[in-house]
Amino acid sequence: MSVIALLIGAGGLVAAGFLFAFAWAVSAGQFDDTTSPPVRMLFDDDHSEDANVQPRL
Amino acid sequence: MMTALDTSIPDQDLATGPTRCRHCGDACRSGAVTSPSGVFCCAGCESVYLLLHAHGLADYYRCEIAPGVSQRQTAGAPDQRFAALDDEAVASRFVTRFGNDLSRVTFSIPALHCASCLWLLERIWRVESGVTRSEAHLLHRSVTVEFKPSRTGPRRIAERLAALGYEPVIDAEALATPVPRVRRRLYLRLGVAGFAFGNVMLFSIPRYANGAPLEPFFQAMFDALNVLFALPVLLFSAADYFRGAWRSARTRTITLDAPIAIGLAALFGRSLFEIVTRTGEGFLDSFTGLVFFLLIGKLFQQKAFDRLAFDRTARSFLPLSVVVERGPDAVLTPIDRLRAGDVVVLRHNEVVPADGVLLDEDGAIDFAFVTGEQAAVQRHRGDIVIAGGRVVGRTLRLSLARPVSHSALARLWTHPVFAAPKRVWLDDVLAHFGRWFTVAALMLAAGGAMWWWPDARRAVEVATAVLIIACPCAFTLAAPLTLGTAMGALGRAGIFLKSPAVALDLSRVTAVAFDKTGTLTTSGRETSVRFHGRTGDEARLIGRLAAQSSHPVSRAIAGAISGGDGIDDVIEVAGLGLRGTVDGRAVVLGSAAFIGAVTAHHVPAIAGVTWAAIDGDLPQPIEATTPERPGAAAAATAVARDHETWLLSGDDAAAERRWSAVFGERMRFRQSPEDKLDAIREWQARGHRVLMVGDGLNDAGALAAADVGIAVSDSTACLVPACDAIIAGDRLPQLDAVLAYARRARTVIVLCFAVSIVYNVGGLALALTGRLTPLATAILMPVSSLTIVGLSAGLMRRGPRLEPRP
Repeated sequence: MSVIALLIGAGGLVAAGFLFAFAWAVSAGQFDDTTSPPVRMLFDDDHSEDANVQPRL
Repeated sequence: MMTALDTSIPDQDLATGPTRCRHCGDACRSGAVTSPSGVFCCAGCESVYLLLHAHGLADYYRCEIAPGVSQRQTAGAPDQRFAALDDEAVASRFVTRFGNDLSRVTFSIPALHCASCLWLLERIWRVESGVTRSEAHLLHRSVTVEFKPSRTGPRRIAERLAALGYEPVIDAEALATPVPRVRRRLYLRLGVAGFAFGNVMLFSIPRYANGAPLEPFFQAMFDALNVLFALPVLLFSAADYFRGAWRSARTRTITLDAPIAIGLAALFGRSLFEIVTRTGEGFLDSFTGLVFFLLIGKLFQQKAFDRLAFDRTARSFLPLSVVVERGPDAVLTPIDRLRAGDVVVLRHNEVVPADGVLLDEDGAIDFAFVTGEQAAVQRHRGDIVIAGGRVVGRTLRLSLARPVSHSALARLWTHPVFAAPKRVWLDDVLAHFGRWFTVAALMLAAGGAMWWWPDARRAVEVATAVLIIACPCAFTLAAPLTLGTAMGALGRAGIFLKSPAVALDLSRVTAVAFDKTGTLTTSGRETSVRFHGRTGDEARLIGRLAAQSSHPVSRAIAGAISGGDGIDDVIEVAGLGLRGTVDGRAVVLGSAAFIGAVTAHHVPAIAGVTWAAIDGDLPQPIEATTPERPGAAAAATAVARDHETWLLSGDDAAAERRWSAVFGERMRFRQSPEDKLDAIREWQARGHRVLMVGDGLNDAGALAAADVGIAVSDSTACLVPACDAIIAGDRLPQLDAVLAYARRARTVIVLCFAVSIVYNVGGLALALTGRLTPLATAILMPVSSLTIVGLSAGLMRRGPRLEPRP
């Protein structure tokens, strides 16, 4: 049964790892702006060859 | 930070209805431009369109349909308006240097509102060489641009942004949005509490499931781990509550922080005692859970503040810098460095920064900003011109009489009404409730302990159990959740609250005062003109003469007409009228007095009416009116059903008849900003809670004095004075529905309070009889909080709905 103590210790370490990952993400500013990134990721890559093409209708 | 509203795309389908501008989607009316590229509502929109295509940025129009912002209002903005950014001292407020030949500048962009905006603003490098990178921020409506100072500068970038239709706000108050440090800390606190809550729960369940203490080894290990996890929650996550309670104890103003801190301390203290003395397993699962729920409520509360921060002061209405004549040179000078005696040069559309004396022969100045009156005023050499006026037409030179901080405009802001923060009813209620609650909990705990005395152990147990159960977690959740939901729904409907608590204040309003110009009517720029008794040709003759004058009424009459061919002998008496020959016909245009003097015909002086005579015929009236905002009268009538409504206008009584149908006798005209403020105070003295609906600087005092001040705003880049909420111009008809919605939010909160009292009474019964076990607490605490969350969300979703903006 005392193996449970070992498992709990290991589990606690893993959980603490995630807590630190969360703390890092917060302090790196990943939670500062939650509105722009979901919009930004939907943009297509630039079509730079379109440059200087006359406006079409 | 700048206040901003979306310019909405009107509700008709883009395929039907009037032709829509290809850039901004507005209906194309007079002044529309048709070119090979499409139809545009104004030349400004067309030039933005062409600029984007020239730089290969046409994808802008593919993210969203007609995403642009109408350029009609920006036309005529002074060219030099960003020149102040050339000044090192001014620029340093916006620019930070962060590398070798690399700088970063952050601008507030009120027009930033959609995916297309974001897309374009992150591609500025295509338009301006020297820009290395840019990042737009939808929530704060700001853009941060990184650039090489050797190749470009903040002024050029600002001008580029303006040319793209994203005019940055460069005023004396605009500041870059700071990184939300408070928010980050809250996220961390929440994360730690959640982490501890989950783990402590995990180690507590075996004990509950077993029904009796576990094997000594495991019980000791689990207890130790629980204390280990609960400690950071006590010291870090819940720190604000203890700090708040300490502060309130010192200032003797008890808030809800006090009973929360007492409850938390009782929970942790008793748990620690039980664990150390091996007399029980403690309440640490409830303790961590409670902090977790409390912090969720707090996050909700803070999130609501994200949308807008809108505290405006007089300085945000002023330019950053003006041109000052120093000897033969004209020097651009930041307004803080202006001194009495400086001679400033102001071009068309520029704002007078400080009170001064006019040096030119005469000039026209529009004080709509300050007084709310629509017509520009003529000033002559030697006249005092007060700060906040906008120069119309000719460039003027002023000798400043005082520095900016002492001008009339700044004085309005020093009125005590702006100094004291507004009383928010929610704070009053919470303070009152907090005091009552704390006292009641402490007395009940003491009473329970006395009842069980001399069984000391039992007495302490009962006392701590009462303090634990009395912790008002459900109460603290009810208000932020409900008001946060209300604030979000109102925001989607085009009404932006300064804080969630404003919704509660809105629900208690008993009297509503409306400003007229700009609120019930549209702003002065859209003056409509009606000729009476004139043929189209005659009207055109009059219009061509009117085009020779810079007076705003003349400009409205002239409409799109410009040019001076075929017009001779023009004589203008500034502010009164003008005469001249148009195609050989003598035309006279002006006020009743002017017409009387020139033509010997006597006509009545009627406000809002100008007269014109051609070749000495009988003068005919020309009516210049600003149109009523669609639905404004209906909105005021609807509000009048449940509230006392008043009209407070800075204009003369010309519109009296029109509005008496709505307001009856309750109208006051020719009200100065101070008069409006006093009127509000007068009604408050009679026991009313007043809602003021206004716009512009002239209402600022009244908006601040009222229990709730709502500013009506038409455009994206509009400056809004001190107010509690902003309503988009086209949403004014919703005002009554907004008030009904606010009342509903209050009912929901009262209901939540009632339900949580039921829970508390039930819990207290357990506590006082000494039967509050850790298991009962672990169940009761989250269940009561979740009931409140469900109740608030469920009830707010039903009932009267607010139409979201298209």
